[in-house]
Amino acid sequence: MKTDVHNPIVINPDTCVKCNLCDWICPGDLIYKEEDNRETLPVIKYPDECWYCGLCQTICPTQAITVVFPDNMVHNKTDVATLLGKVAD
Amino acid sequence: MNQFNHLDTDVLIVGGGVAGSMAAIPALEAGLKVVICEKGKVLDHCGSIGCGVDHYLTVMDTGPEWDTPEFLIKHVPELTDHIVDMAVASKVIHEMPRVFRKIEALGVDFKDRKTGDYYRLRSFGLPGTYHINFDGTDFKKHIGERVRKGKATVLMRTMVVQLLERDNRIYGAVAFNFRTGEWFTIRAKAVVLAAGDVNRLSKNASGMAFDSWHFPYNTGDAQAMGYRAGAVLANMESVEATLTPKGFSTQGLNALVSLGAYFVNKSGERFMFRYDKKGENARRAVLADAVINEYLLGNGPVYLDCRHLSQEMLDRMEYTLQVDRYTLPAFYKQKGVNFREELVEISVSELSIRRSGVYFRGSGLAVDTHGETSVTGLYAAGDCATVSGGIAGAAVLGHIAGEGLVHRVRSTGSLPDIDARAVEPVRAQSMAHLQRDGDFSWRELEDATRETVTDYVGVRRNDKGLRLALQTLHALAKREPELKADDLHGLMRVHEARNIRLNAELMATASLARTETRTGSAHWRIDHPQPDEQHRRKFVLVSRGADGPQVETLTTDHAIADAFARNKTAAAA
Repeated sequence: MKTDVHNPIVINPDTCVKCNLCDWICPGDLIYKEEDNRETLPVIKYPDECWYCGLCQTICPTQAITVVFPDNMVHNKTDVATLLGKVAD
Repeated sequence: MNQFNHLDTDVLIVGGGVAGSMAAIPALEAGLKVVICEKGKVLDHCGSIGCGVDHYLTVMDTGPEWDTPEFLIKHVPELTDHIVDMAVASKVIHEMPRVFRKIEALGVDFKDRKTGDYYRLRSFGLPGTYHINFDGTDFKKHIGERVRKGKATVLMRTMVVQLLERDNRIYGAVAFNFRTGEWFTIRAKAVVLAAGDVNRLSKNASGMAFDSWHFPYNTGDAQAMGYRAGAVLANMESVEATLTPKGFSTQGLNALVSLGAYFVNKSGERFMFRYDKKGENARRAVLADAVINEYLLGNGPVYLDCRHLSQEMLDRMEYTLQVDRYTLPAFYKQKGVNFREELVEISVSELSIRRSGVYFRGSGLAVDTHGETSVTGLYAAGDCATVSGGIAGAAVLGHIAGEGLVHRVRSTGSLPDIDARAVEPVRAQSMAHLQRDGDFSWRELEDATRETVTDYVGVRRNDKGLRLALQTLHALAKREPELKADDLHGLMRVHEARNIRLNAELMATASLARTETRTGSAHWRIDHPQPDEQHRRKFVLVSRGADGPQVETLTTDHAIADAFARNKTAAAA
């Protein structure tokens, strides 16, 4: 997992049953869980590619997953006008 | 050929979302062999609405005139500012009631849990209460289940990277599994492209490319592959934006406006009526255009205002919003905002190529009334096709394509053998990205594409800016062979990034050709600020030429299929 980007989901290692469902359902192919191994936790391998859909949270049988939004989403300071293009002349 | 697993099938479907799955169902019912390639892993939850959907647009033919296909069809030209393929749009609308009943029969419950009846709402400029507001958390699950029970072969985590075409006839595709590294050649008598819209195309407020209103894993794969195979695309000049809570590009505008929310500017003015007599019930394109203008006029920030709504309506809104995007309540909670009692600052979302904020005018692969593109045997449906209408549009055109291809498959004799000399270079060139030593990543390609699209191909266009963007996009294309992939997942993203860039090029090319403004900031040419009804009530068609995209125009009095080579040949004969 990359360490320089926000981690979109927190997995509680105490309650995770290491079942593979989060890997199975993730639409972006971000969560990797070693199959047939009840010892290893899922890994969020590509955290900056998350859509924040929460499907992993909804399917987790033990509510071990929590979606956490990064600060630049929650307290966004972008000037919307900067998204509206430049006029070439 | 030993590098490939080979499959022979009647039908190959690219994308297992609503359009692809609804195309599979009639094909399976006709006894055809169906293979589906899907980048997700589970058919019940993949595609744009794998997490759920809260509205379904349909005429139901329940009796009143407004609820008939004919009434809605009559209003389609004004809903689309007259740039619409009426032949295909009319077919889709006529089929809506039948496909709706079929989806109900699959187990989707469209009725309101409290009243036991349909809760139908008016929104987005439509001339009737055509949107059913419902709990569609399991909508896709029911459709996916039907496809699985029909014994379709589903290749998951598998990306199709190239179609196989000879003499304008499709006969299969090349794909790879980005978990296992297996490569596939799939020979098929019909191929349905149903891989959705184009996202990750421009910047948004959060600056996070995958924080997109629409599904960020839809990257114009269908449009790009169709283009490379020779298919005609239309309406690629139009872009779509929506209004989102600032910082989180999420769905939900339909629920907000249909349930009575207001938008106000920094002065507290409810400004939408300055842009459209329907106010917040105007088309999505108009709502986005109004907010873009308010920001450009210096009237921002713009806020969502729900404070006037009844508790009952707020309860419904809160419930509905989390059906469309499960995590939205968590976002508000983390932000510490209560939308029931406070203003919520909103932003214009990033741009996508989809259906430009209007119903029935899609941007993408042109199809005829059977869902077939200009390439024989190649079909398209959903947000990658030129008639698009949200989930219902995807379901209906998908179903039309699935029925339409049955005759094509049955009348097709033997297919060409797959030529190893044609497919092995596809695999080799792709896998070479894993061996690159440089540092040109798919992220860098995408960032550069987004920057130029945002600056010059976005909501304010002129001739000079579009040409500047094309220069940048062409220069990026030349560097694509250098792209480095760290792993198989990264290789999938390399293909996606290339497809996004190509779609941006097609958009810029088509935008140059439409020398007028049409549907506000969906195609706002600041050097041609007015609609030109006399000369520009035409489709801009884009297809592969000898030196890149070539453009032609066709008056909207015609169906786009009239420009397809096979129809010209048929007419000549």
